[in-house]
Amino acid sequence: MDLLTFARGPGMHWATTVFVIGVLWRLLGILLLRGRKDLSEPRRTAAWKGLRLIGLRSWPRKEFLGGTAFGEIMGYTFHIGFLVALFFYLPHILFFEDIAKGVIGVNFKRVFGFAWPYLPGGAIYFFSAVSLAALVAVLVHRIASPVKRMLSNFDDYFSWFVTIAPIATGMLAYSHYGAPYPTLLGLHLLSVELLMIWFPFGKLMHAFTMFLARGVQGVEFERRGASL
Amino acid sequence: MSAIAVDRQGEMPGEERVAKAMQGFVKDFGRTAAIYLESCIHCGMCAESCHFYEVTGDPKYTPIWKLEPFKQAYKREYGPFAPFYRLLGLKREVTEPQLEEWQHLLYDSCTVCGRCSLMCPMGIDIAGLISDARHGMAQAGLVPKELREAAERGEREGSPLGATPKVFKERIDWLADEHEVSIPLDKGKADILCSMSSIEIMKYPQSIVATAKIMKHVGADWTFRSDGYEATNFGLLSGNAQWQKDMSMKLINAAVACGAKTLVLPECGHAYGALRWQGANLYGKPLPFRVLHISEFLAESARSGKLRLKKLAKSATFHDPCQISRRGGAVEAPREVLAALGVELKEMFPTKGTNWCCGGGGGVVAIHRADALRYKVFKLKMDQIDDTGAELPVTSCANCRQTFDDGQAHFKWDKSMNSLLELVADNLIEA
Amino acid sequence: MTTLGDSLLASGVSRRAFLKFCTALTSLMALPPGMAPAVAQALAKAKRPSVIWLSFQECTGCTESLTRSNSPTLENLILDLVSLDYHHTLQAASGFAAEAAREHAMKEFDGKYLLLVDGSIPTSDGGIYGAWGGESFVDILEQSAKGAAAVVAIGSCASFGGLPKANPNPTGARPVSDLVKNKPVINVPGCPPIAVVMTGVLAHYLTFGKIPELDAQGRPLAFYGETIHDRCYRRPFYDQGKFAKTFDDEGARSGWCLYELGCKGPITHNACATVKWNAGTSFPIQSGHGCLGCSEPDFWDKGSFYKALSTAEWGDAKTLGAAAAVGVAAGAAAAYLGRRRQERIEKEN
Repeated sequence: MDLLTFARGPGMHWATTVFVIGVLWRLLGILLLRGRKDLSEPRRTAAWKGLRLIGLRSWPRKEFLGGTAFGEIMGYTFHIGFLVALFFYLPHILFFEDIAKGVIGVNFKRVFGFAWPYLPGGAIYFFSAVSLAALVAVLVHRIASPVKRMLSNFDDYFSWFVTIAPIATGMLAYSHYGAPYPTLLGLHLLSVELLMIWFPFGKLMHAFTMFLARGVQGVEFERRGASL
Repeated sequence: MSAIAVDRQGEMPGEERVAKAMQGFVKDFGRTAAIYLESCIHCGMCAESCHFYEVTGDPKYTPIWKLEPFKQAYKREYGPFAPFYRLLGLKREVTEPQLEEWQHLLYDSCTVCGRCSLMCPMGIDIAGLISDARHGMAQAGLVPKELREAAERGEREGSPLGATPKVFKERIDWLADEHEVSIPLDKGKADILCSMSSIEIMKYPQSIVATAKIMKHVGADWTFRSDGYEATNFGLLSGNAQWQKDMSMKLINAAVACGAKTLVLPECGHAYGALRWQGANLYGKPLPFRVLHISEFLAESARSGKLRLKKLAKSATFHDPCQISRRGGAVEAPREVLAALGVELKEMFPTKGTNWCCGGGGGVVAIHRADALRYKVFKLKMDQIDDTGAELPVTSCANCRQTFDDGQAHFKWDKSMNSLLELVADNLIEA
Repeated sequence: MTTLGDSLLASGVSRRAFLKFCTALTSLMALPPGMAPAVAQALAKAKRPSVIWLSFQECTGCTESLTRSNSPTLENLILDLVSLDYHHTLQAASGFAAEAAREHAMKEFDGKYLLLVDGSIPTSDGGIYGAWGGESFVDILEQSAKGAAAVVAIGSCASFGGLPKANPNPTGARPVSDLVKNKPVINVPGCPPIAVVMTGVLAHYLTFGKIPELDAQGRPLAFYGETIHDRCYRRPFYDQGKFAKTFDDEGARSGWCLYELGCKGPITHNACATVKWNAGTSFPIQSGHGCLGCSEPDFWDKGSFYKALSTAEWGDAKTLGAAAAVGVAAGAAAAYLGRRRQERIEKEN
């Protein structure tokens, strides 16, 4: 079986399976732990309003911006570039629509009433390039900054690698550079599969846990009227 | 390895200390802690918010790093993939040398001020987890000696600083006499139970007088109780969960005993967190009375018109005690009181929820080996206050006040910290 | 053996027509135009070789492709230029007579004849699933390949196994190159291959006496060196993001790219986009249907023809549902173990 056929076939099948099992295992393994009931008299009864921390914490308070500006800007540059390339490139959209159709039975247009919009390939390539550059910048910062260097472990570096690999291989495939196209496409898919398999086990889970952590702090602190 | 000597309690072999620490940790590994511990992405931004990192540039003071053994233990022993971590050796067991090295980080260099929790992009309540981690350290007998001694004394005598019920009663008698003010003690029934911190009882006894004057001024039916007056809680500060409960229960039981509708906490930061937010959970059911910080009580009294104050023609700036303001939610109350006093409020920067910690909270001011570090932090506060050009620095926490007094002496600073309570008491319009 | 030039003259093919044919052939083989006279000279002098064509597990589509014509074509010329000594569909003889003719040619031109094979070879159960004259395809191929100068696997079945090899491959179908190991094998895949590609390969061999440059799959680079995508006239639409969403929508009628409709052009190597079919008339994409990828190995088993290249076998709702159930159960178990440990510690203290 050649590389591309494997990547489009059993590779993807197993990666998806591991991803689903892993994510749910980790999320439920956390959420089903013992919760603590707070019997104190709340300062604010509509504690659920604290969920706004999920949006609020997306940018630091100006008092904290000084040393964190680089990380925030580079972080957003990477994320935005990556998410645009991931969700607004037609071949990717077709990939997701295929899964969505298979799972819920109807297509995007039926559900939302309009087609999932996409950007031309050249624009996607640009966003990918910007995102790649930002990733390189944050790796340099992680190694150069004493705080981050001290904190960093295998998870940090490997997660970085499995994130940059799909972007790099995607760009190579798009430009048909370095190897025959079927090989490049195969490598791109395999890199995505590696990302999917690693996802539940490392820091990439922050895509899910950030809602949980911000949510919990938001609700607990809102209840007390503490600063959000 | 750090050159700082480690304080140990008891003679235990290393593995036993580790095992006890693990037990202390595991009790706190609930859903909330798990969500937080699973969410860290090692961005290091919490360092930028921590005054200890700010003044030293030393990466080991990165707030989340202070939790490293706690986090490590969670992932290895408790998280959803813990068996994998153990089987594949992906996370090492916490060791005794590691816990000893972390004593300095968990106690000397953390005031539990909560700026890190406010900064964290992932929303992790790092400060809250520090308090949890201290439970394990206390179980393992790895608490800094001053905190341990204070806690032990508090548990045994009723006060960490020697303000035993006997001493308290003596002080009350003497102060009532000296200042010609009625200071009720051990009334069988009262609407309001007031409490005091040992810092005030021993170092700033005029706070007792101030409280009494104000209570009389607003016409409150109030009392002190000798079976429950101590608001500080070194059980909380040292990480001894059992003693924390014992200390809080004294106050709660006293309030119940006299049928109080309101428990007023004194000018003390962690006392507010201990009773207002954690008290009911230790009691096991909602408290049958309101809990107010003295600044909140004063604000309410000002709002209702019961508190009549002379106008103070001075400029002031308010230092927010972390546990009352940022962590506790009573940000505006002291400012309402200052407005009632008619002062010109010149806020420092940053202020309110993002204000810098004084550097002495969380037990740090008691740890002598941390003095040098604390003084470095104090420079931040001096600069902040000097920059406002205000005449009166004011705060509403005796521990902050104590930290300021000590810093003022060390640096020969030209400004003294003032107590909001005393300012109010000194400017009452008496009928 | 008479020369090709003699045969052509005898058949009434003018010198002019012959040169026109050689020029076309030259450009087909991606040779410089100046080589046309040399090609003509070489072909004219070439001895009319014996060609044996074995048809195994095939649908005859390759032969059909080769022989479609409305008027005398290159294809026909080729067939006239060679001595096609054995071909099931085209030969007049049958039965023992046909087999005798084959064996005679193989003996007479031993070491010199060209062996063309279409169809895959079934190998399961001793090769019982394909046989004629009491001999299995496996044995016939083995015997026939022994004395061949070269072997040309015509069509995807012979080149890669094709349709018979598709999942679950009940007959154990295998390509020629799997079974013929000590002779040069040229793969000319396609389902079917383009007529002029087949003849071009033969012409190259006749002209130069050796096999053309091959790619990693044994396919002549001249015809299989580029993908359909690289030469597709609809490429600008792909680049601009203009895709047909259904077979008859506005986009389809405007000739937009067929990527969404499953076109496998980007990963398919063939000459369809340049040479096209039926003397350059059209090719599937031009007719509005995506490329099936028929000149690539295992194209039957690469997922739906109508699902875009970027989709993949993620599974199905049932498998994902089962995976979700496993994840939930594992998470719940982990949480339960954790809680139990907490309770145990609390009881001890």
